[in-house]
Amino acid sequence: MKKLILFSFITFSLLFTACKDDEVIVATDYSALLTNVVNNVIIKTYKDLDDKTAVLVTNLTTLENSPTEANLEAARQAWRDARLPWEQSEGFLFGPVDQQGIDPSIDSWPVNVADLDAVLASNNTLTKTYIDGLEGTLKGFHTIEYLLFGTSGKKPVTDFNTRQFEYLRACAQSLKGSTKQLYDAWQPGGANFGKTVMEAGENGNNVYLSQKSALQELADGIITITDEVGNGKINDPLVQKDVTLEESRFSANSKADFSDNIKSVRNIYIGGLDNASTGESLSDIVKAKDAALDTKIKTQIEAAINAILNIPGTFTTAITQNPSAVQAAQSEVRDLQQIFEGELKLLLENL
Amino acid sequence: MKKIGAVAVLIGLLIMACSKTEIEVIPDVMSGGTTTIFAEFSNAFQLPAPNLNADGLQEHRQADAAFEAIFVTAPAEINAGVGPLFNQNSCAACHSKNGRAAFPEIAGDLGGLLFRVSLPGQGMHGEPLAIPGFGTQLQTKATFGKEAEAKVQITYETLEGAFADGEKYALRRPIYNIQQSYLPFPGNALFSPRIAPPVFGLGLLENINEADILKNADEYDRNNDGISGRPNYVWDIQANKKTLGRFGWKANQPNLHQQTAAAYSDDMGVTSPLFPTDPAKGQLQEDSFADDPEISDALVALTAFYTQSLGVPAPRRQEYADIKSGKLLFKNMGCTKCHSPQFTTDLNLDLPFLSNQKIQPYTDLLLHDMGEGLADNRPDFEADGREWRTPPLWGIGLTQVVSGHSNFLHDGRARNLQEAILWHDGEAKSAKESFKKLSKKEREQILYFLSSL
Repeated sequence: MKKLILFSFITFSLLFTACKDDEVIVATDYSALLTNVVNNVIIKTYKDLDDKTAVLVTNLTTLENSPTEANLEAARQAWRDARLPWEQSEGFLFGPVDQQGIDPSIDSWPVNVADLDAVLASNNTLTKTYIDGLEGTLKGFHTIEYLLFGTSGKKPVTDFNTRQFEYLRACAQSLKGSTKQLYDAWQPGGANFGKTVMEAGENGNNVYLSQKSALQELADGIITITDEVGNGKINDPLVQKDVTLEESRFSANSKADFSDNIKSVRNIYIGGLDNASTGESLSDIVKAKDAALDTKIKTQIEAAINAILNIPGTFTTAITQNPSAVQAAQSEVRDLQQIFEGELKLLLENL
Repeated sequence: MKKIGAVAVLIGLLIMACSKTEIEVIPDVMSGGTTTIFAEFSNAFQLPAPNLNADGLQEHRQADAAFEAIFVTAPAEINAGVGPLFNQNSCAACHSKNGRAAFPEIAGDLGGLLFRVSLPGQGMHGEPLAIPGFGTQLQTKATFGKEAEAKVQITYETLEGAFADGEKYALRRPIYNIQQSYLPFPGNALFSPRIAPPVFGLGLLENINEADILKNADEYDRNNDGISGRPNYVWDIQANKKTLGRFGWKANQPNLHQQTAAAYSDDMGVTSPLFPTDPAKGQLQEDSFADDPEISDALVALTAFYTQSLGVPAPRRQEYADIKSGKLLFKNMGCTKCHSPQFTTDLNLDLPFLSNQKIQPYTDLLLHDMGEGLADNRPDFEADGREWRTPPLWGIGLTQVVSGHSNFLHDGRARNLQEAILWHDGEAKSAKESFKKLSKKEREQILYFLSSL
């Protein structure tokens, strides 16, 4: 053992001498990348989520006060509009959304239908504070979806009762509290987790000890959601031919959910929303080292999004009527996951 | 042969040193053997062991979904059976990102903290005595229309102290008050707070040969070092006999299957063949459904498999001088007498990825008297009211990035690693006193070392 230590010492001394005359490798600074992604992808997405949830509150309040078919459809559209930024945030489910326990209040699934029926049948006053105190399975997107669309997806306004309207409004108010909490946790002036990410590797940062670990956080976020879409969200209802396993079946919004998840991947990867980069991104790192890989990733992201959107009809009908189209979409998503798990991960590990 | 291997690695290092290729890892950082993963981000406890084969990985993915699955009130088209009494409605609700739960700072929300309760005395197998109407765990939540067993109010007492160099510190001792119990809570009842621990690496701990664990036991302190590690022997339901306890804060569960089934039952109110009786049975909150067991033994096994097949995160920056010094101090102060750095797991033909792995969990899996300050005064099988099982330290430095806090010990009372050390007493008193005598620089080196795990 002593010999080994001595030998290592000599070897390491050699190693240092060996490097001296060579070029000095200066670590690349990724703060511009992290700043762009935090400000222009993550915080903007959470801002949009909070804004769209405010519209949902407004529209459900209008529906409660004036229950018409038109107001019902406006409320449903507001749900879909708010759902979009949430799904586009699932490529970065790290930080406050998890650590402050916010996710269960926003996106718990399935809905606790038995308890929901019991709450509706009770005399409890349905306020935001009351809903805040309930389990995640009695609030958030999926509870609102269940009540607003009904199990048929086409529940007419005449089938609603007053309690349901009250519950929907209070539930949206509670959801708005969660989306605000999430936005505040990231933005400057709030708890500012954004700063923690942007200042990765700086002295005193006890979360991200290096910029590389923050980059790997971003990469692992998009790998995780790609895996979940391909091997969970699409796979489980498809393989088990069981629509009860489908995420947003009442609203028939699953295809939008899944494609928005992959758009979330794109947003992080290219560093900007709506397929428009606003600054440095993971794509730039990849491009600098392996331009072909960057092209391959971008092409595969588009292929996955398009294959999901090209599934005919709703996801619910497609898993039995067009399983091959669903399989094709799954296969594109899995291909993307393979590229990420293999080439992207390796490239970042070797930064 | 080993030396030749090491030489080869060093030569490899030399060749690659000036290229941009990642330097080969040295064996010392393979804390989970070939289950080791390299990650310093929030999913560090959620990655599958890299040595799983394709079938194993597929099973791991299904198991992941089971671990995440949220249960709802029966009857339901999916995931039916939570409660009527429960602490949380999914595994992941307490073990978020597979990490440790934070100490509950928000009044009324206990999060991942629960309370075991019992009456003085022992049952027929040596287990704690259930309290009529409460059982052996307080379920602090209930499905709609049912009443939670109790709420727990937390107040604090400050304990001040000082290091040898004069620097002062203050510890925060939580005081728990059981309130709003649905029935009068017996005055002589014992209760023990327990925080949800991380769940990775457990298959490796399960696969350590019993003899290797017992080798470190020294009940009567024959070697006179002040440390008397004791095994717990607990009731193994399937084996129908007492066996070595390994899991839980007092090592009161013999294996992961039983641990998992007990958690489904006691924490979530979800019954399985091993625990077919709902915790609310015979109580006012009992539901009217004849649906027990609510989940199959296969699902319990799948969830247990999840905890067996996760990767173990490697320590980081082991080449840093301060961390090396901290590691040496940690050993010299006697910490490794309980936080044993190393084991080699048994052969395992069923789960080959756990087989014959040289691991560094920093636990001896034995019970130690930790002093009056940490005592729960509630015996659990052969563990007395002052004993706790040494918890593993692997991954401990990733707590902040994974879970967003740095709360440690059995109820999460320590607000950082230094406080956790300062709470040590009883058998660990001399190590703690040594720590207090160190210079500020040396204390920091120990904390750097722990943070690098």
